[in-house]
Amino acid sequence: MSSIKEKFNQISPSEFFYSNRDLAGFSNPTRSLYTAVREFVENALDACDQMGILPEVQLTIKAVDPDKPDPKPYILTVKDNGPGIDAKHIPLAFGTVLYGSKFGLKQARGMFGLGATMAILYGQITTNKPVIVKSSNDAKIQNQFEILLDIQKNKPIIQKHTTKDVSKKGLSVSICLEGDYSKAGNKIRDYVYETSLITPYATITFDDPKGQKFHHPRFVKEIPPPPTIIRPHPHGIDVERIRRMIVESQFEIPTIDDAMIEKVRKDLGLSKQNLSFSAIMTKAKKKWKNLPRQVRVVIALMSFLKMDFEKLNKIRIEDIDVPNKKLYYWDFGESLSKTVEMDPESQYYKQLTNTVQGEPLTTFLTKRFQRVGPTTAVKFAEFAGFKPEKRMGTLTNEELVNLSDSLQKFEDFMAPDSSCLAPLGEEPLEKGIKKFFNPDFTAVVQRPPSAYSGFPFIVEMGIAYGGDIKSGGPHVYRYANRIPLLYDEGSDVVIKVVNDTDWGRYKVKGDPPFIIVSHICSTRIPYKTAGKENVADRQEIERELRLALQFLSRKLAAFMSKRGQAEMAKKRANLYAKYIPMIAEFCTELAGKKKEPNYKKILDDLEPVDIKQTESEPVEEEKPIENQ
Amino acid sequence: MKTNKNTAKEISKKAKEKQQTILDSLKNHGAKIYEDLENGQFPKFSIPSRSVSNIVYDKKLRQYILGNSTALRSAKNSAQLRSFTQLMWLAFFANRLTQEKKSSTLRDVYYSSQAFAIEFEDQSESDNIIVDLEAVTSRPREDFHIFPEERSSIFGDLNIEYTIPGYEGKTMNLSNHPDGYSIGPSLTTAELVDTSAEIVIAIEKGGLFTRFVEEQVDKKFKSIIINTGGQAPRSTRTLLKRLHDEMGLPVIILTDGDVYGEHIAMVIKSGSANAAHLRELTVPDAKWVGVWATDIEKYKLPTIPMTESDIKRCYDLQKDPRYESGIWKKELEVFLRLKRKAELEAFAKYGLTNITDKYLPQKLELAKSL
Ligand SMILES: Nc1ncnc2c1ncn2[C@@H]1O[C@H](COP(=O)(O)OP(=O)(O)OP(=O)(O)O)[C@@H](O)[C@H]1O
Ligand SMILES: [Mg+2]
Repeated sequence: MSSIKEKFNQISPSEFFYSNRDLAGFSNPTRSLYTAVREFVENALDACDQMGILPEVQLTIKAVDPDKPDPKPYILTVKDNGPGIDAKHIPLAFGTVLYGSKFGLKQARGMFGLGATMAILYGQITTNKPVIVKSSNDAKIQNQFEILLDIQKNKPIIQKHTTKDVSKKGLSVSICLEGDYSKAGNKIRDYVYETSLITPYATITFDDPKGQKFHHPRFVKEIPPPPTIIRPHPHGIDVERIRRMIVESQFEIPTIDDAMIEKVRKDLGLSKQNLSFSAIMTKAKKKWKNLPRQVRVVIALMSFLKMDFEKLNKIRIEDIDVPNKKLYYWDFGESLSKTVEMDPESQYYKQLTNTVQGEPLTTFLTKRFQRVGPTTAVKFAEFAGFKPEKRMGTLTNEELVNLSDSLQKFEDFMAPDSSCLAPLGEEPLEKGIKKFFNPDFTAVVQRPPSAYSGFPFIVEMGIAYGGDIKSGGPHVYRYANRIPLLYDEGSDVVIKVVNDTDWGRYKVKGDPPFIIVSHICSTRIPYKTAGKENVADRQEIERELRLALQFLSRKLAAFMSKRGQAEMAKKRANLYAKYIPMIAEFCTELAGKKKEPNYKKILDDLEPVDIKQTESEPVEEEKPIENQ
Repeated sequence: MKTNKNTAKEISKKAKEKQQTILDSLKNHGAKIYEDLENGQFPKFSIPSRSVSNIVYDKKLRQYILGNSTALRSAKNSAQLRSFTQLMWLAFFANRLTQEKKSSTLRDVYYSSQAFAIEFEDQSESDNIIVDLEAVTSRPREDFHIFPEERSSIFGDLNIEYTIPGYEGKTMNLSNHPDGYSIGPSLTTAELVDTSAEIVIAIEKGGLFTRFVEEQVDKKFKSIIINTGGQAPRSTRTLLKRLHDEMGLPVIILTDGDVYGEHIAMVIKSGSANAAHLRELTVPDAKWVGVWATDIEKYKLPTIPMTESDIKRCYDLQKDPRYESGIWKKELEVFLRLKRKAELEAFAKYGLTNITDKYLPQKLELAKSL
């Protein structure tokens, strides 16, 4: 199995997205420049993450004609040190919409198989220039493509393809697009900056059109453990998805060509020998256990056809009519369609039935879904009103809908597996916050995995106070699957939860200098739009966010009251420093002395005050209060 | 002619001694604070508690006094630090005043503080600290040359000798000016030399005071007349006490015929709870001779109805141990029964001089038997 060679799936055409490009974040030159940067940077980081490579990403934006006023054409280039893409996949990956390798169930930044192509498409529409992709996946040869997109046909048009010797793996994408850097610059710089907080193991550089260079070196040397690909959870599935899974699970009748026959011979150990039909059958019976499925199907067909390899070579299977126990084939020699009866008692008949009608429901459930055991599968079948051995290939449309509904409703499935998630981890998160804000107080928490509609998710959150943080907080840094979310924060669930918090309750008052970093990880972030800017408020996610924030807020409250005490001590010290000398002055004259008493000792003995967070501070863990 | 029981020499010696004990007391307090600081300790001192629970009536002294409980004031307590410093400053300031024999008013104190970067939020805060100093030293503020603004006045044949700087040795007869003499720092600290008077009449109101001078009450009844101007200020009470103690003059008090008048008399006689930390302000033998509630009926005086607060004040005073017996108790009861009150001026109904011609002689006669 190659988890490394990503499986490319093409799932649907493009016109819809061309006319709905606003949804994907390409509404105007400002937003589009920003979105294009995001799409390519995120692809680069995804590619490195998946291969466990410490990412080095170089982002460059250059004005084609610097003297022109904005909006104007820019050349945007993003270069990475990732695995690159196999040359033959490049035109598809970058030249078609909804073509991606990330549909499998695991956490990634990319989700839709859309981002890169939309950016390229936008560039092409506004400047009529091709995308230039350079990729090397073997550190020897670099393939360079210039591609234009045929929007109607959702097809790439390769304008130029050259190769070149190189010594490093990696991919670089370069597009020319209409943008407005004077307006988008802030957001882009923020994006790069915030990305480096949530991707502390990446080195990101940005050369901006004004000649400024932003360098964010990695400050964590280990990549967080990569997520594993897992099967879907029954709650997170819909009719379309089941239909596709059934198609995949139904075994095709193998084409019986030379290659196939050669394979059967080899597996039976008969490469050189020409045995009779019955001798072949005897041999097959002996070896049955070790034979692959396809070979078994061929043997089963031969058993009814009563043919040896030579005869088999001259026919083509036309149809297997299981209910009527008939097998149709085309005889090349006689140019005739022929029929043979199949004996239903034969073990070979069963083999063919399996193949044609697909697996039984219970097998389908246990094999294709996570967290479903045989007992649960049988229980579910009863719940949904299916026979456990119901063949998946025989489901009517109605039954399919019923199955899908029942999968949603059945409550005895275990919670989704979260091994497909890759949160950053408390330690790197804390390290990042401390490095970025040099705060007086920091706390982080990673909530245990939870799930919404069958999709697992994890909430990570950090809170920091004081230090270099600007007042006027809380400033909220929102992340989802390691992507900073900078736009549309008004409608975001995280903002909602933060706004619902009564900070006075946590001793945070006035114009406080504090920040909240929120990171939601999921195989499916419930974004409100394909532009990936704000997260919808799913009840389960909202709950986890609340619990995380409450936990951190309580820690902050503990710090604040300590700090309050320290500030009081400081105020007291100031009072002493002000009044004790006065008292000394007055009592000296009263007592009729010449010299003032030595009161310095009193002031020096006052305890020094420190309002920084103490390292070993044990914060009491309280039971979370839930306010729904 | 009555002369001061003490000789002039004794008087000035006594005055000097008194000043010296005050200065010594301030010095001792200062030295203790100094020592604490020198030893690296937060200075502290104790002060008699002035909380209500610590104010008790002393039957023997016939006045309110502070009980035994004391409060510790420490410079370590940051909540007290500011008032501690204020008090230290005040002691320092009072020390200068006393040494230089300069007087100042309560308001002066409030403003003087600002020269030393001692902030008082308002005058009531500085007044409060002055009471603290009184409590710590058990001396009235006048001893530190701090005087209230309010003035009352005196008239009658009394010779005094000033002690204040610039007037030392000068004498004065207090019957030379018919408006009377205001009782200020110079009069309070003057020595009382001699008098032909045989009684002191303290009267609540300035209007009546003028009438009494006009009608020559001082001569007719051989009296010194004092206008207390309502509730008698401390300096007036001190003077009353000195006239009684040093010159051996009896003191009678005439007030309006209401509960407030009754209490004005009581304060002259036995002090107020507010000044429980101080002695030597009372004239326990002073007699209240009118206007009583019973006089209202007896003389058929024009009356005004008592207000809610008059009535409430009656009930409050009934709880005071000093009002548990004698005329004090009886008159309160009559006031409550009548629910009416009468002013001193009410006697004008019978002619302007009725009060001096008829009422006063009757009361003076009565006073002898009280
Ligand atoms: N820098 C890169 N290195 C390696 N593979 C890449 C790179 N950029 C893109 N790809 C491949 O091209 C595919 C298409 O990318 P695209 O951005 O269009 O979709 P996506 O990232 O899967 O989803 P999304 O629309 O959410 O971004 C990716 O799935 C990935 O397999
Ligand atoms: Mg992408």
